[in-house]
Amino acid sequence: MAADFQLEVEDLRFRYGSREAVAGVSFAVRPGEIFGFLGPNGAGKTTAISCVCGLLGGWQGAMRFGGETFRPDLRAADRRRIGLVPQDLAVYEELSGRENLLFFGRLVGLAGAELTAAVERALELTGLGERADDRVGSYSGGMKRRLNLAAGDLHRPSLLILDEPTVGVDPQSRNHIFAALERLRDQGRTLLYTTHYMEEAERLCDRIAVLDRGRLIGLGAAAELAEQAGVPGADLEQVFLRLTGHRLRDSA
Amino acid sequence: MKLLRDAWLIAAKDLRAWRRDRTGLLFGLLLPIALVTAMGFLAKVLYGGGGPMGRTDLWVADEDRSEASADLLAALRAAATVRVRPGPEAEPLSVEEVRRKVEDASAHHALIVPAGFGEELAAGGLPELRMIRDPGRRLEDTLVSLALVQAYMAISEGRSWPAMMGRQMEALGLEPEQAQAVVAASESVRALIERFLPGGDEEPEAGGAEGGAAAGTGFDMSAFLTGMVPVAAEDIQPPGRPKELGYMQAQSVSGMVVMMLMFGLVACGSTLIVEREKGTLTRLLAAPVSRDSILLGKLFFSAAVGLIQLSLLFAYGELLFDLATFRDPVTLLVLMLSLTAAVTGFGLLVAVLARTQKQAEGVSTILILVMSCLGGAWFPIQLFAVPTAVEVIMRLTLTHWAMTGFQNMFFHQKSWHDPATLPAVVVLWGFALAAFLAARAIYHRRLASAS
Repeated sequence: MAADFQLEVEDLRFRYGSREAVAGVSFAVRPGEIFGFLGPNGAGKTTAISCVCGLLGGWQGAMRFGGETFRPDLRAADRRRIGLVPQDLAVYEELSGRENLLFFGRLVGLAGAELTAAVERALELTGLGERADDRVGSYSGGMKRRLNLAAGDLHRPSLLILDEPTVGVDPQSRNHIFAALERLRDQGRTLLYTTHYMEEAERLCDRIAVLDRGRLIGLGAAAELAEQAGVPGADLEQVFLRLTGHRLRDSA
Repeated sequence: MKLLRDAWLIAAKDLRAWRRDRTGLLFGLLLPIALVTAMGFLAKVLYGGGGPMGRTDLWVADEDRSEASADLLAALRAAATVRVRPGPEAEPLSVEEVRRKVEDASAHHALIVPAGFGEELAAGGLPELRMIRDPGRRLEDTLVSLALVQAYMAISEGRSWPAMMGRQMEALGLEPEQAQAVVAASESVRALIERFLPGGDEEPEAGGAEGGAAAGTGFDMSAFLTGMVPVAAEDIQPPGRPKELGYMQAQSVSGMVVMMLMFGLVACGSTLIVEREKGTLTRLLAAPVSRDSILLGKLFFSAAVGLIQLSLLFAYGELLFDLATFRDPVTLLVLMLSLTAAVTGFGLLVAVLARTQKQAEGVSTILILVMSCLGGAWFPIQLFAVPTAVEVIMRLTLTHWAMTGFQNMFFHQKSWHDPATLPAVVVLWGFALAAFLAARAIYHRRLASAS
């Protein structure tokens, strides 16, 4: 029997020294949905995602993937179920787009015809086919962002995690990324998406978790969040400010 | 006035930024301080804080065992340019024992005082000494010759002087055009003797024996001095070594290769920091690969670059200087692998310790330059009789062991498993293992604590 949730996170806690960055966060991502992660600076989004991706060890709590215990920090096989699109442009500028994809494809265990097909599919998804053999250093910021996305999805992971994938891109590239993500959703893929842009979250996400100061302070569809915040019918930005307050979080 | 005020405003801003730029401070202040300390410390140790030269080892076998030969050895011990071995309290060595030392390259000059030396000297003659030497050690040869002239003069209390001069005049043929040269040489020698003999601290006269040629005569003082004391020299050098290859030349090539390799491979190791700064390390860490494979990948990359770099540099050195680099390819390969492993480990350690690439560059530059200086990559510090504490510091540097290995291969023509070379190979691999294990431990600790 298929599990109800792709990823289940229960009472996740992580400390940087004496500072508790994630303080008992629980959420579950359903198969085929785009799950949004929202929160002001220092809310604990990146830390929580780093735990889910296996970048951080030493966390407390429990994670399950497809109903099974999930320890991506300890088991490479668990990390293979995840695809990460980091906030940084995590591609090699000295290599061409195709060389980058071939490298990352091999890194996740693809080879031969499967690898070639995956690279071509990723190039087509992100519209980089014509410039695939050019050095990434000659790409525009938007093209690099799209390549960054393509590299994370090469092996069609069970859960694709995108950490602010549209930061600093022009409207054309942003729309292209949105279209690519919507195509992935249409294919039944599961995505975990963090962003600062409320309109992105409203447009793309089926459900949204709002984090602040390491705690989960809201979870549901945009309309449900508005209800939870006591501002029914309000847009997501108003809901967000209502839940998290107006105080600056620069020092968080 | 406004011009100056605005200029000061900009200068003050730059000073504030400079003060906060740790790398700039590192390069601008700490690097010169570290180098001045290392060089000043070495110069003081090597040159005795004002003496003209460092001392070089001269092994001695006394077959005469006379009062005169004892006086000769005592005068040599008092000379400023050599350190007589074995020491006065140690067991004397036989001719065969000192010969073996030169043969196995643990000594470069061995003086033999033959039987009958004292008797002949007492008779006003010029008894011949024997010298077993490595002909590639030209600098040391000059130092030993100077010490011998001084010692010979001292023990004969000047009695040998006419005989010594006669020997040289005979050699010169006493032709009229050479008479002036002989006179100039005599003056130079006198000045030199006065300087070396006890109480002879006065500055040499102008045009004296400081240079290789007496002023205005074109006279070669070094050659003249070398010929004054009758010495039968027996040259011993490994059969494979090119005749023209001097110790200093082999030292220079090896030293520059070792130092440049360190710079190159630290840059390779710091690609780990570049990956961290650019964010690609995040993607590597999230991939289904072992954490160790990432570190090992950097190790393999550095090692490959190191081997390519070393091969090219040595091939170039072979073309240019005829070092007989590929005479023993197995030893060359073993030494290249050992050095590459040690330097790669060092580079990885710097890469995991440093927070930024700038920091890695700053710290590694200081460490490499100081290690190169202390380890003999700049000049042959190992030739000098340094105090134990300095020797310990030298041996703590991987450059020292790298230089030992390469000098043994290039100059002494020893194989990698020779007792003189094997310790260098073992220590370099020890460096490599220790540095890699430390780098791995720090790398895992850092990964566990931060994304």
